[in-house]
Amino acid sequence: MGTAVTLVKDSPPQVPAERPARPAVVKRRGRRENLAGYLFMSPWIAGFLLLTAGPMVASLYFAFTDYNLFNSPKWIGLDNFTKMFDDPRWQKSVEVTAKYVIIGTPLKLLLALGVALLLAQSRRGQAFYRAAFYAPSLIGASVSVGFVWRALFSDDAVVDKAQTFLGFHTGGWVGDADWVLYSLVALTVWQFGAPMVIFLAGLKQVPRELYEAAEVDGAGPFRRFWNITLPVISPVLFFNVLLETIHSFQIFGSAYVVSNGYCGPADATLVYTCYLYQKGFKEAQMGFASAMAWMLLLAVALVTAVLFWSQKRWVHYEEDAR
Amino acid sequence: MQKNGNVERRTILKAAGASAAVLGLAATTGCGGDSDSGDGTVTIRYAWWGAEERAKRINQTIALFEKKYPKIKVKTDFQDYVAFWEKFQTQAAGGNPPDVFQNAVAYLRKYDKRGILLDLKSQIDAGNLSLDGFRAGVEKVGQVDGKQLGIPVGSNTMSLVIDQKVFDKAGIKPEQGWTWDEYFKALKKIHDTEKISGDTGYFGVMYLYDLYLRQNGKAFFTEDGLGFDEADLTEWWADGYNRLKAGIITDPKKIQQLRPKSALASGDAASEFTWDNFAVRYSTEGDSTYALAPIPTTDGKQTGQYLASLMLSASARTEHPKEVAQFIDFMVHDPEAAKIMGYDRGILATTEQFDAFKPTDPVSKEIAQYEEDTSAAGVLGAITPHPSGADTVEATFLRIADDMSQGKTKVADAVKQFFSEAKAALAA
Repeated sequence: MGTAVTLVKDSPPQVPAERPARPAVVKRRGRRENLAGYLFMSPWIAGFLLLTAGPMVASLYFAFTDYNLFNSPKWIGLDNFTKMFDDPRWQKSVEVTAKYVIIGTPLKLLLALGVALLLAQSRRGQAFYRAAFYAPSLIGASVSVGFVWRALFSDDAVVDKAQTFLGFHTGGWVGDADWVLYSLVALTVWQFGAPMVIFLAGLKQVPRELYEAAEVDGAGPFRRFWNITLPVISPVLFFNVLLETIHSFQIFGSAYVVSNGYCGPADATLVYTCYLYQKGFKEAQMGFASAMAWMLLLAVALVTAVLFWSQKRWVHYEEDAR
Repeated sequence: MQKNGNVERRTILKAAGASAAVLGLAATTGCGGDSDSGDGTVTIRYAWWGAEERAKRINQTIALFEKKYPKIKVKTDFQDYVAFWEKFQTQAAGGNPPDVFQNAVAYLRKYDKRGILLDLKSQIDAGNLSLDGFRAGVEKVGQVDGKQLGIPVGSNTMSLVIDQKVFDKAGIKPEQGWTWDEYFKALKKIHDTEKISGDTGYFGVMYLYDLYLRQNGKAFFTEDGLGFDEADLTEWWADGYNRLKAGIITDPKKIQQLRPKSALASGDAASEFTWDNFAVRYSTEGDSTYALAPIPTTDGKQTGQYLASLMLSASARTEHPKEVAQFIDFMVHDPEAAKIMGYDRGILATTEQFDAFKPTDPVSKEIAQYEEDTSAAGVLGAITPHPSGADTVEATFLRIADDMSQGKTKVADAVKQFFSEAKAALAA
C-alpha cells in the first residue's frame, strides 16, 4: 500500500531550490516551451472561459436579477433567494432530491462494495462478471435507458407482473406518486459498476499478510472485514461516498425522461434540477433558475465540507502517506 | 473579450455576430447570413410542432410552394409541442426566432409583449397576404389589440369524444343541450353497468373549465388576469374529486402510466374532453369506435364554445416579411395545399380551402359534421382573450389538478396554490 504515493513524494523536485543563473539560450527555450504549452492548452482555455467561466459569472449576476430572457435583467438583490424559501414547489424539490440522495447513494455503495468483495477473489469468468456489472454505468446516463426504465416500471409491465406474482399489486410505479421515486433510485443503484471498479482497485491494495496474521490469531471473516478490509479501503470508500453523493444531487436526465418531462406525477419526481429547468426554460424565469443553481452549488459544497470534516473520524490513511 | 465585470450575454452574442459578419464579408461570397444568395433567392425558416404524419404533409405543401415561388426556399424544423416552445423561447431570446412559425392563442400576448411577433397588417395592406374568405370570422382569433399577429390555418372547438360502443351498450345518447347533471348520471350508469370509469379527468382541462365558466357568465381569462375566484375553483375541483372517489372518473395513476396514450383509447374510460381535431388520434390508438358528442351545458342551451385555431405567425425580426407573407397566404388559401393537409391542423380556415378538401375518411367527416352541427346550434361565441403567461397557467392548472386528484394536496390547498402560482405567471 502506498507505494505510488511514496514514489511521487520522493521524486526529486523539478526545479532545484537554489536556482543558478540560467544561460539565455535555456531561458529562451523555456519561454518557447511555455508558449507551445499554452498554445496546446488554448482550445481548453478558450472552452473554459467561454463555456464554463463566462456562463458562471453571468449566472451569478442573473441570480440577483429578475430576468425573463427577453427584457434586460433587473437587479432585485436577494429577492430570488427569499422567494425560493417561500415557494412550496421549491421545498418539494429539495425534499425529493434529499430523499433520492439519502436512499439511493448508500444503497448503491453497499451493492458496489458487496459485489466488489465477491469479485475480488480470483475465480473463473471473473473478467466477464466485472464487465457485465460495469456495463450499466457506461450506458446508464443515456436517455434511451430512461425510456427502457419507464417501460419496465409501467402498469402491466415486467416489474408490475413480477410484483403481482409475489402478491402485492401496485399498478406500476411510474404513475404512482408514492412509488415513482423508487424507480429512479433503482435506476441509480443499478449503475453501481463505477464505484464497484474503484472498490475493486482498493481491495487489491489490502496486504495479504494482514489477513494471514489475523487468521492465525483466529479472526473470522466478519472480523477480518471489519478490522482489516474496511479501515484499509476507507480512503477509497470516502472517495466513492463523496463522488456518488455529489453525483446524486445532480440527477436530472432519468427524472425528466421517466416522468415524460413533467417531473410528476404530483411532483413526486420533481428533483432539484428538474424544477430549475422548468423555471428557466419553461417559465422563462432565468433569474430565479440561476439563483437555484447557485443554491445547489452551496448545498453541495456544504455537504462536501461536512464529509471532509467527518473523515477524521473514520478514514484511515497510512502514516507515511498522509 | 472583456475579462472582468459583468459580461452581458447580449454583448457576447453581438460580438460573436459581428465577427461572423466580418468573416462573411472577407469571404466575399455575398452571402449575408443564411437567407440571400446571389440570384435573389431568399430562404425562410419555418418551425412548427407536430409529428411524422404532419411532417410528411407539410413537406409536400412546401414542395408545391417552392414550385410556385421558385425564388423562395423554405427550411423547416419541427418538434413536439412542449419541446417546440422551449426551443422557440430560447431562439427568440437569442434574437434568432424562425421567420414563420405555428402559433396558438395562449402565446399571442406573451410574445407580442416581448416584441417577437410581426403585425401582419402591413403585409395585408401591401397585398402580399389576403384576409378574405375566412370561415365564421375565425381570423379574429389572431387579433390582439388591433394587431393581426397570427393567421389561422385551421379551426377547432372543444368537444367530448366518446367511446360509441360503450355509450350504445349503456343505452345513452348524448344530445345537444344536455346538462352536466345528465352527463354525470350517464357516467354513473356506464360505471355501474359497463364497469368502465366514465371520464379521464375533466376537471384538469383548462379549456373545458373555461367553457363551464362561460356558461355561467364568467371566463377563465380576462385580458390581464383570471376571470374567476377561489370559490368557483373550489367547487369545480371538490366536485371532481368526489366523482373521482366515487369511481366514475378514471384513476389518475392509470392515466399517468398511459401517457402519452389516452385512457379513452386504452379502454380505461368512456369519454374525454378535447379539441375536436384531436379525434383522429383515438381511432389510431385504440380499437373501439369513437364519436364526437356535444359539450354539456348548465342551462340546456349555451355550451360556451368558440372556434379556436392553430395559426401561422411571423417573426418581427424577419428580413423577408414579404416572402413570409406570401408563404402564409399560400398556406391558408391554396386549394392544393388544402388537399394535402386535410384536417390535420383543424378544419380548414378559409372557404376556398374548405371547399377544396372533401373528407373521405370517417373521422374527418365526423369532425366536419361536428363543427357544422355546433355552428348550426348557434352556441358559438367569441374566444376569450389570453393574457401573457396563459401557457404557464394552463400547465399549472393541469399539474395542480393532478396533485389534487392523486390525493397529494387537499382541494383547499390546491386552489390556493393555483391562484398564487397563476398570479406569479401572469405577472412575469
